[in-house]
Amino acid sequence: MAAAATAAVTIGPTAALVAEEGPSGEAAPAAAPPPQAPAASAGPRLSRLPLARVKALVKADPDVTLAGQEAIFILARAAELFVETIARDAYFCAQQGKRKTLQRKDLDNAIEAVDEFAFLEEIK
Amino acid sequence: MAERPEDLNLPNAVITRIIKEALPDGVNISKEARSAISRAASVFVLYATSCANNFAMKGKRKTLNAGDVLSAMEEMEFQRFISPLKEALDAYRREQKGKKEASEQKKKDKDKRTDSEEQDKSREDDNDEDDERMEEEEQNEEEEVDN
Repeated sequence: MAAAATAAVTIGPTAALVAEEGPSGEAAPAAAPPPQAPAASAGPRLSRLPLARVKALVKADPDVTLAGQEAIFILARAAELFVETIARDAYFCAQQGKRKTLQRKDLDNAIEAVDEFAFLEEIK
Repeated sequence: MAERPEDLNLPNAVITRIIKEALPDGVNISKEARSAISRAASVFVLYATSCANNFAMKGKRKTLNAGDVLSAMEEMEFQRFISPLKEALDAYRREQKGKKEASEQKKKDKDKRTDSEEQDKSREDDNDEDDERMEEEEQNEEEEVDN
């Protein structure tokens, strides 16, 4: 039922707070969740990453003249999808090591293992 | 302000939240892993931008558009992103359209009022509209032209 989905999103921030109190403060002491009011009932969440920062990254490319707002938005959303994807792939590695904490090496392994992440070799 | 492009990081809190929501409950992430992911995300944006820009240049355009980014995803072998991105783009366009219609409606109401008061003053409002349009120029460049 749709209500469950919306409920999950609206209590998101609260759930995050609870989760951070539980385990020992390994997870970064992210201060109060950003005061964005998620448009829970508006269908797909549009984007959490601030467009201004994404725009700054785009403009850092000397070959880029202009970027339309839609392009910036899509890049932000793609970056989110990317973070989700790489986090899950890294978690897969952590699970192999029977750990519940993602570590740097899990990320390195994921980068090595997944072809699409080849462009990240430089940051290992 | 920015030293190197890779140093332009995305906000930690947001990155952390995205990661946590992607993973099952009870899974933690070390600080180094998190900042490595954040860095990877920045590199991803830079790489995608460069790729997208190639498509724009091929199309002899100076402005990156959404289509260029989608083509870049394909090129980077992130085809699985394309479908959710298209959905997000539709939702975004609808939202922008809604905002635009709302502000146009406001303008219409304003014009109606000023028309009934002083017919000459409505010219000034059009000038204000031009200022607003300049900001939106990037976005509207290839869209409708105001007649």
